[in-house]
Amino acid sequence: MSRPGFVLEVDDRTPPLVVHEGEGFRLESFPLGTRVVYPPETLPALPDVEAAISEALLNPVDSEPLPALLRPGMRLTIAFDDLSIPLPPMRAPDIRQRVIEAVLTMAADAGVDDVELVAANALHRRMTADEIKHIVGERVFRSFFPQGLLYNHDAEDRQNLTHVGLTDQGEDVEINKRAAESDLLVYVNVNLVAMDGGHKSVPIGLASYRSLRHHHNAKTMIASHSFMDHTRSHLHHSAWRMGRMLSEHLKIFQIETTLNNEVFPEPYGFLMKREWEWSIRDQASMLAVRRGLSVAPARVKHRMFHDLRAPYGLTGIHAGETEAVHERTIQAVHRQQLVEVQGQSDVLVMGIPYLGPYNVNSTMNPILATCMGLGYYFNSYRGQPMVRRGGAVILYHPVKADFNQLHHPSYVDFYDEVLAESTDPLVVEEKYEQQYATDPWYVHLYRTSHAYHGVHPFYMWYWAAHAMDHVDDVIWVGADPKSVRRLGFRAASTLTDALEMASSTVGPDPSISYLHNPPHLITDVH
Amino acid sequence: MPDAPELPRVAQRLAGTKVLITGVTGFVGEALLHLLLTRVPDVTVAVLVRPKESVSGAARIQQLLSKPIFAEVAESAGGVETLTQRIDVVEGDLHQVPALPSDLDAVVHCAGDVSFDPPVDEGFRSNVVGTRDLLARVAEVGAHVHYVHISTAYVAGRRRGTALEQPVDHSVDVEAELSWGLAQRRDVEHRSRSADLLDRLRTKAERTHGRAGLLSAAAAAEEERRSWVKDELVRLGTERARSLGWTDCYTFTKALGERVVESYAAGAPVSIVRPSIIESALVTPYPGWIEGFKMAEPIILAYGRGELPEFPASPDSTVDIVPVDHVVAAIVAVLANPPEPGNPVWYHVSSSARNPLSFRRLYATVRGYFDQHPFEVGGRGAARLPEWRFPGAQAVERLLVTSERAHRAADYLVTHAPRADRTRDIARRLDRQQRRLEFLRRYLGLYQEYAQAELRFSDQNTRALFERLDPDDRATFAFDTAVTDWDHYLAEVHCPAVTEPVRQFDEARRARKRPSSGHLDAVPSGGSGQVAAFFDMDGTMLSSNVIESYLWLRLQELDGGDRVAEIGRMAARLPGLVRAERRERSGFLRAVYREYEGSRLDDLDAIADEMLTSHVLSKLAPEAVRRVREHRAAGHRTVLITGAIRPLTRPLLPLFDHVEAADLAVDDDGICTGFLAAAPLVGESRASWMRHWAAENGVDLAGSSGYADSHSDLPLLQAVGKPVAVRPDVALYRHATKNRWPILDWNSPPTTSRTLNPAGAMR
Repeated sequence: MSRPGFVLEVDDRTPPLVVHEGEGFRLESFPLGTRVVYPPETLPALPDVEAAISEALLNPVDSEPLPALLRPGMRLTIAFDDLSIPLPPMRAPDIRQRVIEAVLTMAADAGVDDVELVAANALHRRMTADEIKHIVGERVFRSFFPQGLLYNHDAEDRQNLTHVGLTDQGEDVEINKRAAESDLLVYVNVNLVAMDGGHKSVPIGLASYRSLRHHHNAKTMIASHSFMDHTRSHLHHSAWRMGRMLSEHLKIFQIETTLNNEVFPEPYGFLMKREWEWSIRDQASMLAVRRGLSVAPARVKHRMFHDLRAPYGLTGIHAGETEAVHERTIQAVHRQQLVEVQGQSDVLVMGIPYLGPYNVNSTMNPILATCMGLGYYFNSYRGQPMVRRGGAVILYHPVKADFNQLHHPSYVDFYDEVLAESTDPLVVEEKYEQQYATDPWYVHLYRTSHAYHGVHPFYMWYWAAHAMDHVDDVIWVGADPKSVRRLGFRAASTLTDALEMASSTVGPDPSISYLHNPPHLITDVH
Repeated sequence: MPDAPELPRVAQRLAGTKVLITGVTGFVGEALLHLLLTRVPDVTVAVLVRPKESVSGAARIQQLLSKPIFAEVAESAGGVETLTQRIDVVEGDLHQVPALPSDLDAVVHCAGDVSFDPPVDEGFRSNVVGTRDLLARVAEVGAHVHYVHISTAYVAGRRRGTALEQPVDHSVDVEAELSWGLAQRRDVEHRSRSADLLDRLRTKAERTHGRAGLLSAAAAAEEERRSWVKDELVRLGTERARSLGWTDCYTFTKALGERVVESYAAGAPVSIVRPSIIESALVTPYPGWIEGFKMAEPIILAYGRGELPEFPASPDSTVDIVPVDHVVAAIVAVLANPPEPGNPVWYHVSSSARNPLSFRRLYATVRGYFDQHPFEVGGRGAARLPEWRFPGAQAVERLLVTSERAHRAADYLVTHAPRADRTRDIARRLDRQQRRLEFLRRYLGLYQEYAQAELRFSDQNTRALFERLDPDDRATFAFDTAVTDWDHYLAEVHCPAVTEPVRQFDEARRARKRPSSGHLDAVPSGGSGQVAAFFDMDGTMLSSNVIESYLWLRLQELDGGDRVAEIGRMAARLPGLVRAERRERSGFLRAVYREYEGSRLDDLDAIADEMLTSHVLSKLAPEAVRRVREHRAAGHRTVLITGAIRPLTRPLLPLFDHVEAADLAVDDDGICTGFLAAAPLVGESRASWMRHWAAENGVDLAGSSGYADSHSDLPLLQAVGKPVAVRPDVALYRHATKNRWPILDWNSPPTTSRTLNPAGAMR
């Protein structure tokens, strides 16, 4: 039986603890009394994945079994989550491949021959053929991709979008035309964290800018407390309205999968263990990795990390009606990730690792680092934030102004033009969002190259808006001061300096919490 | 109304006379005009002034009188215009002296070439011919006119000991020297066109500028020839002067000019005033007044900046300096005391006889001044002041020669080094050092003669004149050079005055917070359709070159071992290709494009679309893309010009209104022949294509921008009105700095892998 997550209070026996910082990590000695939140140990994986899949498809929740929904001559569309989850990418075979193969087998048995597969990448970059192949597997790829039946969703292809209608609050629901006009839409999800899945899958993953702008905006996102709790997230409320409205027009068969916390393969296994329990072998691995990282040139380091494939195991699979499925999914996610914490702190410390949802096979630029820290990690709570209102957040990341010009062309301009003028999400939205969202060059790159949509950096900034609104001070340790200043934050060289700087906000003797992730965790703050 | 005060005697004697001044726009002329206008109100001033371009002589005088020192006198006269009307402006110059007003009583000839090293013909023309022609016009007015000739104390040349106020003792045949001097321009121009010289200049120019094209090289060679002519004329003048015992062409021609004056003096009243080194005013118009930089300032400023390590002077030699107000006061006193016709009088306005200033003392005082009031150099605190040990001229010369040699060696290395940001940085530092060396070479060469002169100028006549003055006049027209307290004058008056503009400039520069390199003004909007922006591709828009892009394309068609073999083969060819590139860019391109022989053009297009788009886009410099888009947003036409083959430009098509790239020639089956469909668009052919394209599309090149990175793109940049050098190579960097073109650093994203096989990971 794996141990649940827990909160360690740093005392004089506590060894230095791992803190991730981009393509590397450091061992940090925290002040005595610091609360360190460890995620639960990884849950055992389901022993028979095929059986679990089959069970879920044949005995779905609040729905007829999948074979009963399939008939010859129907239009079947299978949509699936793109490469932004799971993180790191899953070691082959990806769970989506196994689910899609099962669905396709049933469809073939039922004589369905009009099948298309759409990656639900919304305004994310188009995946390359190799990236799609990694998700769906060689067999599916070979059968569908060359024929043009397996492709990325194109949110700017006006010909292939359907405006389904408006929600009761007047929000446009516009999604992929093929999906909207299918007799059955099967959605294959990986519910890595609690904010994924549910009505976030179809109404967001297959939507256009016209539809997304109703919930992806500064106002809504400041009011989402938090993204990891769909019942208290305005963003999710909007998505739920859209999803309910869609389900009146379209039969959706939602398949959600949950993974355990096997994030790091060997020799990086020590990163998932508690430092005082490191074996000789773990310590040797740690020293070897640190030595390697210290001498490796930037490019090699980049590869060392980005070539990692996580040996995730499946902890659950549920299929059927979206909301009923998602209910069970969230329970499974919480079982693996939820940690109970008593009370807030003055200071929250987080280490930003090398990878976020939008820099798979790419570079984590300053905007993505901000989104990762203040958008995702900060919001990884239920109840109330880990840090009190008016507190301080200390983040670890180099924050180099390095951009991947292929994947993030609009980010470069956002950083140089927009952030140079204002870092206030509301101002930025008001003044620049339209221009970036409709810029023909960004649209061209989104559609034909592998670029995130022009508006995407704005969304990253809005993700962080709640945190920026909530805390009074954001300090980055070990970061490039110039880029951090551009982001509107401050830089410190050590934790001690950062705490000294924060003392003007939280006093000289603040309570401190450190989120020891990855692996993924959600705090349940009472 | 109280009685008018009794006029001092000088003013009385000059009252009602009319005096013509030449060279009134110069330092001495201006001071003289000021003194006459303020202290001798009843004299009528006429000026001989040259119209400058579109500005008439009268307008120039009005500009002159608008200067602050004339403010008071202009106000009491009732405005600058009224004051200007009081002055009789005679338009003309010394090359063609016009008839002078018939009512003149005196002429002061201040005009002349003040450069120490003029081209020999110009020296003769201004100092000898100009004087002769002016005297002819003076003679027309009448033998009663008092002619005051402003010469220089250094007409004594390389003589030693005491120089007396009398004609310089020499037996040079003025007419022979004059006709030789005037003939030199024609002669040197002829010699500069000799085949040997032209061949040498052209070979050198082609070595440096060949990549930009033969016409650029030819233009550079012609420029070199012109500067050779100038240098040669200077050299001839200096050599002739020294062969006859003068320091340089200036003092030589001045001395010959005095001979002309002496022969005229046989029948007319003539005074010759010989000031020594004229520096800022001691009292009038105000202490420290100076216009422009005179003789000592460049040295003082360079010393204050810590850039003058040593000086070839003898510490005990005398530096003969006089404040400008002493000089002009003496001139006015001379004006008021004309000699008898046939008995010309010489006046030395100099300090060495009675109040000598040793070089050692000058150095110590100036050093003391900068110790107290240092220059702040480049935000690094006070400049370090070199300690001069006066090791003698030869040691200084050796130091200079060694530095110059080291510089030449470093320069050779940097121009042949592979291109990198570091190389450019070294080039920048080398260029600064070169400017300093050139400065040292020029000034040390010029001043060494003066700094070693062991001359004392006897000023008995001047002193006698001063003592004859009415006591009141001695205050108003003070020119007793013995009163100057050098420590006070140098440290409190002169140095503050000459360093002030430099300090203001430094201050302004600090306040401006110099934008870091890479700053560029926003693209001006408007002018829709009339304006274009031309972008070079390789090296400017993205970091790549034609060999690399050849390999990108070619490797897609090959597998495993063949790839390695292909890379190896290209590597072996590299040295040859690099040599070809240095020689001529189009030859280089042709050599590379031969390698495409046998490829299907359609395949190349397909590979470009499928595999290379991502690679090219990820190598794009973000600033470059932004700049292109800014131009578009401003309504400009955007044009990509590249020597790369067309398939490689496909990813960039949406950014540009027009793409001009190399087209590979294909046979009937669509197979590349290895030749180009047309000559590659490099160097000058880019400029001519641009002119043609601009004419066809109604684009105004003068308002258009160009962006390029290499010397071979020079014609592209020169063709537009707003050129920008992007990460330039050393040659282009130098050209850009010289012409004050903006220089930018557009970097390709740093994390971009530089793998030669972008598609490798996809297979």
